[in-house]
Amino acid sequence: MDATAAGPRVGFLRYSYTLGVAAMEGRGFYYPVDLDIAPNGRLYVLGRSHEGDTRGVQVCMTDHDGGYHGVFGSIGEADGQFTWASAIVIDGEGLVYVSDEYLNRISIFDESGRFLRKWGVPGAGEGELDGPSGMALDADQHLWVVDHRNARLQRFTRGGHYLSGFGAGGVGDGQMKLPWGVTASPGGDLYVADWGNDRVLRFTPDGEYVRSYGGSGSEDGQLLRPSSVAVDGAGCVYVADWGNNRVQVFDPEGGFVCAVMGEATLSPWARDYLNTNVEEKEARDRSDLEPDVRSLGVDAREEPYHVEKRFWAPVSVKLDGGRRLLVTDRNRHRIQVYELTASAADASAG
Amino acid sequence: MSTHDVELMGHLMRRAGFGADYEELEARAEKGYEATVDELIAADSQEGIDDLLLYRYHPDHQGGLGMAGAAAYWLYRMVNTGGPLHEKMSLFWHSVLATGYQKVTQGKGMMNQIAMFRQHGMGSFRDMLVEISKDPCMVLWLDNHENHAGAVNENYGRELLELFSMGVGNYTEQDVKECARAFTGWTAANIDYVAMKAQRDSLWPYGRMSLRFEYRADDHDAGEKEFLGHAGRFDGQDVVDIICAQPATARFIARHMYHFFVADEPPVPQWALHPPADPEAIDILAQAYFEHDYRIDEMLRVLFKSEFFRSRSSWFKKVKGPAELVAGLLKLTGRYRLPDPGLQEDANLMTVMGQTLINPPSVEGWHQGVEWIDTGTAVERINYAVQQLSDPARPGVKRLVDSVMRASGNGNATADSLVQACLDRMGAISVDESTRGALLEFAAGRVVGDGGCGSAENVAELVELVASTPDFQRE
Repeated sequence: MDATAAGPRVGFLRYSYTLGVAAMEGRGFYYPVDLDIAPNGRLYVLGRSHEGDTRGVQVCMTDHDGGYHGVFGSIGEADGQFTWASAIVIDGEGLVYVSDEYLNRISIFDESGRFLRKWGVPGAGEGELDGPSGMALDADQHLWVVDHRNARLQRFTRGGHYLSGFGAGGVGDGQMKLPWGVTASPGGDLYVADWGNDRVLRFTPDGEYVRSYGGSGSEDGQLLRPSSVAVDGAGCVYVADWGNNRVQVFDPEGGFVCAVMGEATLSPWARDYLNTNVEEKEARDRSDLEPDVRSLGVDAREEPYHVEKRFWAPVSVKLDGGRRLLVTDRNRHRIQVYELTASAADASAG
Repeated sequence: MSTHDVELMGHLMRRAGFGADYEELEARAEKGYEATVDELIAADSQEGIDDLLLYRYHPDHQGGLGMAGAAAYWLYRMVNTGGPLHEKMSLFWHSVLATGYQKVTQGKGMMNQIAMFRQHGMGSFRDMLVEISKDPCMVLWLDNHENHAGAVNENYGRELLELFSMGVGNYTEQDVKECARAFTGWTAANIDYVAMKAQRDSLWPYGRMSLRFEYRADDHDAGEKEFLGHAGRFDGQDVVDIICAQPATARFIARHMYHFFVADEPPVPQWALHPPADPEAIDILAQAYFEHDYRIDEMLRVLFKSEFFRSRSSWFKKVKGPAELVAGLLKLTGRYRLPDPGLQEDANLMTVMGQTLINPPSVEGWHQGVEWIDTGTAVERINYAVQQLSDPARPGVKRLVDSVMRASGNGNATADSLVQACLDRMGAISVDESTRGALLEFAAGRVVGDGGCGSAENVAELVELVASTPDFQRE
């Protein structure tokens, strides 16, 4: 899909387009919580749904052009099912790994969505899991799992054999409180969204604490319950500032680079819906979807409910080939795609 | 501190909240009854609730697409709040100023309405009436978006007078028309799109449409009106002022509060035909209403400290509503201190007991009291209570059993001391003589040889038996 040339540019990030539509079944997303990009370029979007309507528990396969390539997965505890699906990663061979933070297991599928196997043992001992949330593959194709209620990271082979781990609960340097997302940087360091402490922590692969990014608050450079992190080749850090309903970028030293708030437009699937429901489209066209609600006294945290283009609980950030930033916009059931027009490091230096 | 003090505290915490365990009742009784009433009224409704934690695990508690998530979110609050009276008052207003999901079709708007009840539910009744008149869910529910200057829709104006403030017999048909005229132009933003999506139950393309109040001056009838003996160019706020100053309003709200907190009254439509059960109590509450500038919290203070509330004769006279029963049991069993996917199922079970939170059956709300009970709901209620208390893996159940064992002599109890310990530790419960007789007979049957009873197994069985009694269904 071509980028929208006139999209607003915030620093080096320019909004491009939106993917997806709310849908409980089939083509669409229902409270998506994460995505990953397969070697063939397809996007696998993980739907969490909710207990009141569990049909949206599925992985939807799409691409940047709005193609639909099917779904797999469903609610439950049987093989290939999820209860609280939390994260998705795809390895170099196209195998798909989905973590379930309620069932304490990782399920593995082939690229078509056929269930292959699962692993994971509940507990707090070495190699055991209590709430596997975020996941990341390192350069050796080993799987790092955020074992969030045990406040630690654990490294496994893709077959589930425990290799190493580190982490402790707390608020001190390098300690974590209900961590969520994780990424392995091109340089090998691990960056963890330390959700409960409003920061991102950086560690060496051996678990040595390097530094943190962010801190509690809603000002530039501050975070409120960050859920996901991505790191580019220059070491700049992209954070899903989930509680503040925005995405922020930091330079490698932790300096604030920019924040984006969401600029969603109609996706191809959204247009399809409205083009076949013309009365709704006409009523929508007459509506003000970008009201200045702050002037009406609406609390800032309620703004994304009223302003449809805004991120609402952006839960995951993923970099696609260094050219695009994909933001999973959970409460709006869509993906917002930003183009990187320069490196964050250049933008920061500029 | 006497046994009576703890029992009285049990009565207060069941009515002003969702019950409390014995340790909390003792601590509160130590602090004193009147001080506890003041503390409940002054409590922070957000205490004990971490919204962001809930939103992380339950996306629909934040996004609010449907009814189920909104109900589960509220149930979590009832179980875990440090300000139980605020949740209880929200439940009160949810039935008095009833708005149904069936026509609004979005959880977020309904959650916002309940949050408004939480915020204003214990303040001035005037503010409450203004806020509910501006509430976009109410606008949709009672069609006030179709109430235009020159083309009046009386629905909201009528219900405001009949069910929300004064009751039939205290106004004329002309007052209804004039009231409706005053609320013309009180609508919701983007109303065409909002109403269409609500009607179609559409969540496309990106979820529900936001709901917010909008005043349209160009659609407001600013003409002269005559309302309840007053004349002027009234708008909605003026009408609310006039309504709030009426003695009938004070008595209507007082009777609602008496009905909810003290003893069952007939359903509202019958109020014009049946005088209150305790007219003196209604007078006292109505007096508090005027003495304190229509403040609900001051009416509650008077109510909870009154003899008519504290009297033993009012204890266990009310049938628990499904929300009260479910929230109270979950509190007792220690479930859902943290987010868990099972919460939704418990919220859903209220429906088979006759109460779907967020979706009252009509603008009258729920008919309460003994109307909660029929052969079907009685079975569901008893089964649910027994099921909750029969699972020793639940932290509160284990704590309860251990507590009863300690209080009754660690396996060497008499039948009488075991029964009493069980009733105390389940929340200072009183039962009638026939129930007590049955419980004693059961416990006596567990006495081994010349020894006592009260093993963990005996206690667990007795706890389940208490949960299955008719007395346990009351508060």
